[in-house]
Amino acid sequence: MELRRYIIKRLVQITIIFFVILTVLFLLFRLAPGDPVSRMVDPDMTPEDAERLISQLGLDQPLGIQYLVYVKNFFTGNFGYSFHYGNPVVDVIWDRLPNTILLFTTSTILAALVGVFLGKIASWHKGEKTDSVMTIGALVTHTLFLPWLALILIWVFGYKFGWFPINGMVSEEVWLDPDAGFIAKGLDIGYHMVLPLTTLFLTHFGAYLLIMRSSMLETLKEDYVLTARAKGLQEKVIRDRHAAPNAALPVVTSVGLSLAFSINGGALTETVFTWPGIGRELVFSVSQNDYPLAQASFLLIAIVVLVSNLIVDVLYAYLDPRIRY
Amino acid sequence: MALLEVEDLCIDYKTKSGYLKAVDGVSFTLEKGESLGFVGESGCGKTTIGLGLMGMLPPNGVVRKGRILFEGEDLLRMSAEEMRQVRWRKIAMIFQAAMNALNPVQRVGEQVAEAMLVHNPSLGKHKALKAVEELFELVGLQTDRIRDYPHQYSGGMKQRAIIAMALACRPALIIADEPTTALDVIVQDQILAEIRALQKEFNIGIIFISHDISIVADMCHDIGIMYAGQLVEYGPREDVFDSPAHPYTRALLSSFPTLTGKKTDLVPIAGETPDLVHPPKGCRFYDRCPEQIPLCREKVSQWVALSPRHKALCCRCEMDGR
Amino acid sequence: MAEETTGVEIKGLERYPLLNAFLGGWSIFKQSLLGKIGLILLIMFALMALCSYIPPMVDPMYNPMTGVDPDITDSTGPSLKHWLGTDFMGRDILSQLLAGARVAFMVGVSAAFMSIVLGTAIGMTAGYMGRFVDTLLMRLADMIMVMPTLLVVLILAAVFGQLNIWSIVLIIALFRWPGVSRIIRGQTLSLKQRPFIEAAKVAGASHFRIIFRHIMPNVLPLAFLFMTFRVTSAIIIEAALAFLGFGDPGTVSWGMMLQWVWKTGHMFKAPYWLLPPGICISLITLSFYMLGRAMDEVLDPRLRKEDQTD
Repeated sequence: MELRRYIIKRLVQITIIFFVILTVLFLLFRLAPGDPVSRMVDPDMTPEDAERLISQLGLDQPLGIQYLVYVKNFFTGNFGYSFHYGNPVVDVIWDRLPNTILLFTTSTILAALVGVFLGKIASWHKGEKTDSVMTIGALVTHTLFLPWLALILIWVFGYKFGWFPINGMVSEEVWLDPDAGFIAKGLDIGYHMVLPLTTLFLTHFGAYLLIMRSSMLETLKEDYVLTARAKGLQEKVIRDRHAAPNAALPVVTSVGLSLAFSINGGALTETVFTWPGIGRELVFSVSQNDYPLAQASFLLIAIVVLVSNLIVDVLYAYLDPRIRY
Repeated sequence: MALLEVEDLCIDYKTKSGYLKAVDGVSFTLEKGESLGFVGESGCGKTTIGLGLMGMLPPNGVVRKGRILFEGEDLLRMSAEEMRQVRWRKIAMIFQAAMNALNPVQRVGEQVAEAMLVHNPSLGKHKALKAVEELFELVGLQTDRIRDYPHQYSGGMKQRAIIAMALACRPALIIADEPTTALDVIVQDQILAEIRALQKEFNIGIIFISHDISIVADMCHDIGIMYAGQLVEYGPREDVFDSPAHPYTRALLSSFPTLTGKKTDLVPIAGETPDLVHPPKGCRFYDRCPEQIPLCREKVSQWVALSPRHKALCCRCEMDGR
Repeated sequence: MAEETTGVEIKGLERYPLLNAFLGGWSIFKQSLLGKIGLILLIMFALMALCSYIPPMVDPMYNPMTGVDPDITDSTGPSLKHWLGTDFMGRDILSQLLAGARVAFMVGVSAAFMSIVLGTAIGMTAGYMGRFVDTLLMRLADMIMVMPTLLVVLILAAVFGQLNIWSIVLIIALFRWPGVSRIIRGQTLSLKQRPFIEAAKVAGASHFRIIFRHIMPNVLPLAFLFMTFRVTSAIIIEAALAFLGFGDPGTVSWGMMLQWVWKTGHMFKAPYWLLPPGICISLITLSFYMLGRAMDEVLDPRLRKEDQTD
């Protein structure tokens, strides 16, 4: 019951935030110095097409009407036409979205799980060599400059050893082959995903490890841990069943707080590895002055961030009975 | 054979400035089915005794000397594994500030059942939960609350759940460390009455630790007054309460108001406890004692027997023939 | 979060809250190994930044941006003349590295400073005004914290065209103030209750005066101590932007260096060019992080080692 109400409340919140972002973006593009029309209409279009597009997007109307048209267009999926691809923008970004979600979700979950697991172990062995190694490892990997790490990985494992492909998400041979089955295609994607995934994973798990470690150390001082010990439970059971579930909660919160950081990293990773996701599309479209595509990519990323936040919050509410009941 | 016999127990805490003598030469006895109360201010060592009995001292705590004979066996000589078997099954503990003694993300019923399943895994979850229901009834909790989480319980309910949990393996001894401190007076009263009833029914020995002498006087057969790591007075409730010998005991008694009896002034005890890293050679209460004489500072305190079972650690008692 | 006082004060210096907080903090800081390593690394980078002026003075060919070695027109490895080798245009890599240190500090410190100023002003206002203003400002802060700064700068680059280094710094500061403002707001809220504020109000002081004359001096030391070592994200964002090609083309930064080695296809051939800038960015981030951790110990008494009993 409570959970449902909580979800609804958060949904309303993120909808409001999204509208603010939408509006700000609108104002930016229409009011910034320069000709707003050139930002929405491909200069290479024929005058008739351009006329049609202009009236479709409402660019010849007063600002207030423009805004309404803008919002309407957003909900009907009409983002105009990409200058670069020529296709409707919505087709482009729709195509890219699953790729980003795949990479982003996998890396976040992996980093969180491994971070929690290792952080737990590090706290067991506090002060010993295991702990020092893990803590230093976490610190160092967390502060590595992501694009640089990506380049190094490509150089060493892609180029020097040739173990992994250095760009893209798929190999044409596999995907164009009519006999290739689902598994073959899946494996192919996985194969391409190893390096980008490693990059994202390495730069993110460290933070979770450190948080889990200090959270565990705090939790181990709690009264209920003392009680568990007094009950005659074995140390291992105490740590895994009583301390860890409580200690993991701040990590979930931390995942939520660092989503912006993760998305930045995601966009950089996609760009370096030419992984066809929305992040890369945003970077690419900005460099090409493909304004309609850039706008839409940004909006979609904003949605991804907001929805991710929501998911993390709901997950936390689910894991912590104090919120659920 | 007594249920619990403690001889000359000395426990130190290792600190940056040296070894803090938290418990210094404490000896006492507890029979089956009876209760002993330890009273004293914070830092006097009473909680340390409790933790020491359970073998649950913090990492910087060390038992320097002494014997803890539980049902004839010396707990201090046991291995970690043996001690783990003793815990809860033979000796259970109710902790101070028990508000957090329950795991917030686990259902209460499961936690209580866990106490049973640890020592009797063959019992099975289903039977264990049935037993939990019985325990809940015993302590006055509604059985339909078994599946709830701790934060859904009131303070009094949590305390009852913790008592139920302590009883889960029908231990021979329960150590209750300030079990009612966080509760309001009315609930406090109910809980204490229930503890008394349960003790009678199951013939459990109880060590009751509190800073509140009135509670202890109410609940316990014997009382031990602790000050600065030492036991300064020890004896049956009536003796200690009605004819307190040690000046500290007397000061404690007069710092609590009574509803009946003469109206007297409340006298707080001025001063601070001595440094336990370098305790004074003589009486530790010297600085704050209203009846001090120069001899108190020099002479190492000795026990003075006032009656077969009542004794006090004060040289004035000996002299004044109290 | 930190209480009203950091609990570390030097007797006799109460009248100089900034100095007081600084000296008190230093005695705690000294005990942290992490902090010391971080500080040493930072000093090393600072020296690098200062030395960046030297190579062009020695010989114009060492100018990071425009220096051209008449004998070299392509990327070469380390040599006596060029200790770290040259880039694809024959420019000296070491000079570029040193110049990059200078840019990093400039960006980091400026962005941190601006975000402190902004965050303090907003935090104080929110905490002092309370209610509607407070809610509004904090909601704004929440929204901004959710946004991925890098991508926002990107979209702004789309709208406004190529950004110069100071615009980048400003935008970064505009997105980092929420963190500061929360701390300051908390501090302001607790200060608001104190008697001397009441006294000032009774004496007829205007809100403005109270905020700037009474609250700010008590809040600033905290702001500086807290934020000064959170500069890392500014440096990283600038580096990432430059890496992607959206940096200020007139500034040589480490990110820019990585952009060049990447885009000119020298990634696989020139480790002497690929490795140093990346190592520098990562190391400076690490050192600021270490300092930040040591700072946390200074500000939050609970984290200090001496208070732990186990």
